[in-house]
Amino acid sequence: MTNFIDFLLGGFSNGAVIALMALALVMVWRSTRMVNFAQVGQAMFTTYIALTVQQSTGNWLLALAVAMGAGLILGIVVFFLVIRPVKNSDTTGAIIATFGVLIALQAGAGMVWGGDPEGFIPPVSNAGLEFAGRIWPVSLYDILVWVVTAALVIGLTLLFTKTSLGLSMRASAFNPEVARLSGVRVNRMLITGWAIAGATGAVGGVLIAPVSTISPNSFDILLVFAFTAAVIGGLDSLVGAVTFGIGTGLVISLVSGYTDASNAPVVALVLLALNLLLKPDGVFSHHGSRSV
Amino acid sequence: MSNLTDVKNMSNAQKLRTFPGNRIVWHAVIVGVVWLLLLLLNNNIDPLYSSYLALVAMYATAMFGMTILVGFSGQVSLGNGALMAVGGYVFALTSMNWQTVPIFGWEWNAVWSMVFAGLGGILIGGIVGGLAARLKGPYLAGLTLGLAVGVPAITNRFPELLGGENGLMLTVPYPAGGYAASEIAGGAESGAETSDPNSDAGSDAGAAAGEDQYAELDLSEFDQGVDASTDPNATPATEDLLTEGDLLTLDDFSNGGDLGLESADPAVEPSVDPSVDAGLEPGQDPSGITDSFDTGFIIERWQASMAIAVACLVAFAALNLIRGRQGRVWKAVRDDPIAAAVVGISPSGSKVSAFVVSSLFAALAGAVFAQILSFVGPGAFSLGLSLSLLVGIVLGGRSSLLGAILGALIIVWLPELVDGLAGDRGWPDQITNNAPNLLYGLLVVAVVLAAPGGITGTVRSWIDKSRGKSRSPLS
Amino acid sequence: MLLIENLSVSYGAVQALKDVSIEVPHGSVTAVIGANGAGKSTLMRTLAGLEKPQSGQVTFNGEVISGRKPEDIVRMGIALVPEGRSTIPELTVEDNLKLGGMWRSHAQRNASLSRVYTLFPVLSERKSMRADTLSGGERQQLAIGRALMTGPQVLLLDEPSLGLAPLIVTQILELVARMAWDSGLAVLLVEQNATVALRIARSGVVLNLGEVVKSGPAAEIASDEELRHAYLGY
Ligand SMILES: Nc1ncnc2c1ncn2[C@@H]1O[C@H](COP(=O)(O)OP(=O)(O)OP(=O)(O)O)[C@@H](O)[C@H]1O
Ligand SMILES: [Mg+2]
Repeated sequence: MTNFIDFLLGGFSNGAVIALMALALVMVWRSTRMVNFAQVGQAMFTTYIALTVQQSTGNWLLALAVAMGAGLILGIVVFFLVIRPVKNSDTTGAIIATFGVLIALQAGAGMVWGGDPEGFIPPVSNAGLEFAGRIWPVSLYDILVWVVTAALVIGLTLLFTKTSLGLSMRASAFNPEVARLSGVRVNRMLITGWAIAGATGAVGGVLIAPVSTISPNSFDILLVFAFTAAVIGGLDSLVGAVTFGIGTGLVISLVSGYTDASNAPVVALVLLALNLLLKPDGVFSHHGSRSV
Repeated sequence: MSNLTDVKNMSNAQKLRTFPGNRIVWHAVIVGVVWLLLLLLNNNIDPLYSSYLALVAMYATAMFGMTILVGFSGQVSLGNGALMAVGGYVFALTSMNWQTVPIFGWEWNAVWSMVFAGLGGILIGGIVGGLAARLKGPYLAGLTLGLAVGVPAITNRFPELLGGENGLMLTVPYPAGGYAASEIAGGAESGAETSDPNSDAGSDAGAAAGEDQYAELDLSEFDQGVDASTDPNATPATEDLLTEGDLLTLDDFSNGGDLGLESADPAVEPSVDPSVDAGLEPGQDPSGITDSFDTGFIIERWQASMAIAVACLVAFAALNLIRGRQGRVWKAVRDDPIAAAVVGISPSGSKVSAFVVSSLFAALAGAVFAQILSFVGPGAFSLGLSLSLLVGIVLGGRSSLLGAILGALIIVWLPELVDGLAGDRGWPDQITNNAPNLLYGLLVVAVVLAAPGGITGTVRSWIDKSRGKSRSPLS
Repeated sequence: MLLIENLSVSYGAVQALKDVSIEVPHGSVTAVIGANGAGKSTLMRTLAGLEKPQSGQVTFNGEVISGRKPEDIVRMGIALVPEGRSTIPELTVEDNLKLGGMWRSHAQRNASLSRVYTLFPVLSERKSMRADTLSGGERQQLAIGRALMTGPQVLLLDEPSLGLAPLIVTQILELVARMAWDSGLAVLLVEQNATVALRIARSGVVLNLGEVVKSGPAAEIASDEELRHAYLGY
């Protein structure tokens, strides 16, 4: 039982990061009906940028801010690279293009920063906290991860539900034609969606780096987890992405705790396959892929 | 739409003209001639180039399947590297464990293992395809991505059977005669006797004498090629590659997926300079081996001829499928599944069949890969391998078999080109090792944006334009 | 005044509009009638910028609007209520309304919102419910309300009566006529129900196979038996 609670608690931080990545995937999906498979590649790249900033200034907050800014820009760049095939309704091409971006980003990061895993120094202690006579699998840094994630999720929720920008973005995602007829500059909203997704992914990358290491391919597995969470959540739902992102983190933590960490990808695969199987009409029955 | 009407409205005259018998004979002639030319080529080039030829043929085999799946059926799969793993492991297990059991009077040999690898591919392809047929675009890509990451990890579940992260060394059951000489068995054994990756295979190679040295060459290349170390005396890096699987730990995402392209290519990196390879004693001229062709067993030649044989058989099957009714059915469903269903084509049936065919081809390619490497392991069938298959067909041209062949050439040749350039200019390793992938990534994006038909599609549309016809580059 | 001159539009090989010229004056309703497939919706969508004209031009108060983007055209004061209930079901009623005219000042938008709520009290009652809980007629009111939120000078209505009970149709059309009269709005109205449409309109245009076969005062068109038999089928 103690084990169970420990594994569960230990899973929250990873779950939070998976949730952020899933959130990024969902935002892109909502704006352009595409899955950006380069999303974690972008996060990896901005995390390296953050690493460089932190190594030279020692300022974690500055590193986080720079990563978010870089994430915004990278999101916009990738949008322009990928959107043309979408417009030509070459959806296959659009998917392939995101993988092209992923490969290029990983190779680019390898060129600039080398292939060896590098450590990212956490701003606060990463050691398990002592409380009630025992050491818990939760550190100050884990708490920081939760707080930042919660702040970001709340901020995004407010943005989407309370602001004109959020309303324009939602309308553009649901029905671009009506949005345009209402005077919304839909294309800008789509770009904004990609940019915010890029920044969200960047935060996820910076948060996960200190509890692991960073290397050009180190986020590949995160892509699988985040995709799984986003799909189970319905790909369209921000709430779903967060819920199932954390859920996926917990399940993986339990599986790794009770069996072996190397089972995690298999578990993600099984979760994904089961989910796709159990939705009777296939997940695509309600939301068609659409061109912009 | 035009594909659809093609299928429906073929008049009797057209049916006669495209009488399958004629077409099959014609395809057999084409493939046969190519096969002969390739064998001639294989027998007359330096054995090192034969090893490239083997890799090109292996990649082409897998990419033919990608052409059908991605190009014709419109299903983006990142999982074909994993399907290759299925073929590779089935081949390894059958050839290792049941080597001496005769079936229906046949001695157990590579051919039988290949058959089983193919059956394994069909089985898994049917299962995955059945699931995949219900999914569209990004869902399918995501599921197969999970496959590419998940399947290699499965080997950890069964360390006894599948060798875990270390993989399995295997004895390639060489045929008697042909390129074989009497000592073959001994040469192959040394690497295969043990599944311990720390075996002295690499260092043995240096000591191996005469004909046997080439049998060792691959193992030794494999040992060092992985981290692309340019130091020929580097300690064998096998462990690095083979333990990648354990990087998939959870609390440590960094370990999560050191599954990048570069690590996928243990064998793609055979050094151009033969003297770098551990197998050669200093001062020995590699071309001397060519002279001993009649008496010696040159494993590269045998591997290439085997890979070419498989590639040609697969190409023949693919040609007939693509240029027959099935090809039009696949395209019709790709372009407009609803319209296809209206005229009585089952969209999901068509998608599953494309998956099964491509899975069969992938499994055969995986079995060939296993023989080339004398090894199967999670590191050899990583996400990077799947990605390189996708890169290859996109660059070559995703809607033609020729595009797959060009793609295989690019995948094998580009890293060599970059290595050569880097060697001349003294680029640091960090640049050299990543340059091919950076190029692949940028080229893929550029091709999708500017020339979605890849090389073959673009050339074809130029030709059409000069003849005053117009055609979509993806048709 | 919205001036349509020699407008032609095609979808690939289908020529949906041929050389269409219409004047839409302020302060009155201009009705466009014609059989299914006559090109009425195409005309409206082209005016709103959703389709690109092949040739011809559209000017609004002397400024060329044809070929511009829909979001720019609506900002110039030309609002389309497209065919079918063009609301966003996932959003609340109020969010659907707020979507219209996001570029306008806070004060202008608030004024428009209270005006819409006065015109369509039922929307005010349902403001925080999702749009997909509304009835068909209520949704049509919402769609018109959203267009009014953009503060239009020209209102393009494509079959507002589609699927509605005759009583509601009359109510909505009379409301539209009153708005045109009261606030100097130019209304271009596409209607299947020619009798009602011509009754509230000042002038009418009959489209057939993409061409204008007749235009003139509404009363004249309504009384032209031959025209009715030939193109309107009653
Ligand atoms: N997106 C499209 N692609 C191709 N053809 C189209 C398209 N939209 C309309 N058409 C064709 O253009 C012609 C005019 O269509 P339109 O929708 O403008 O007719 P309509 O007068 O509004 O008909 P209805 O009364 O049924 O609404 C028709 O022949 C139609 O088939
Ligand atoms: Mg219409």
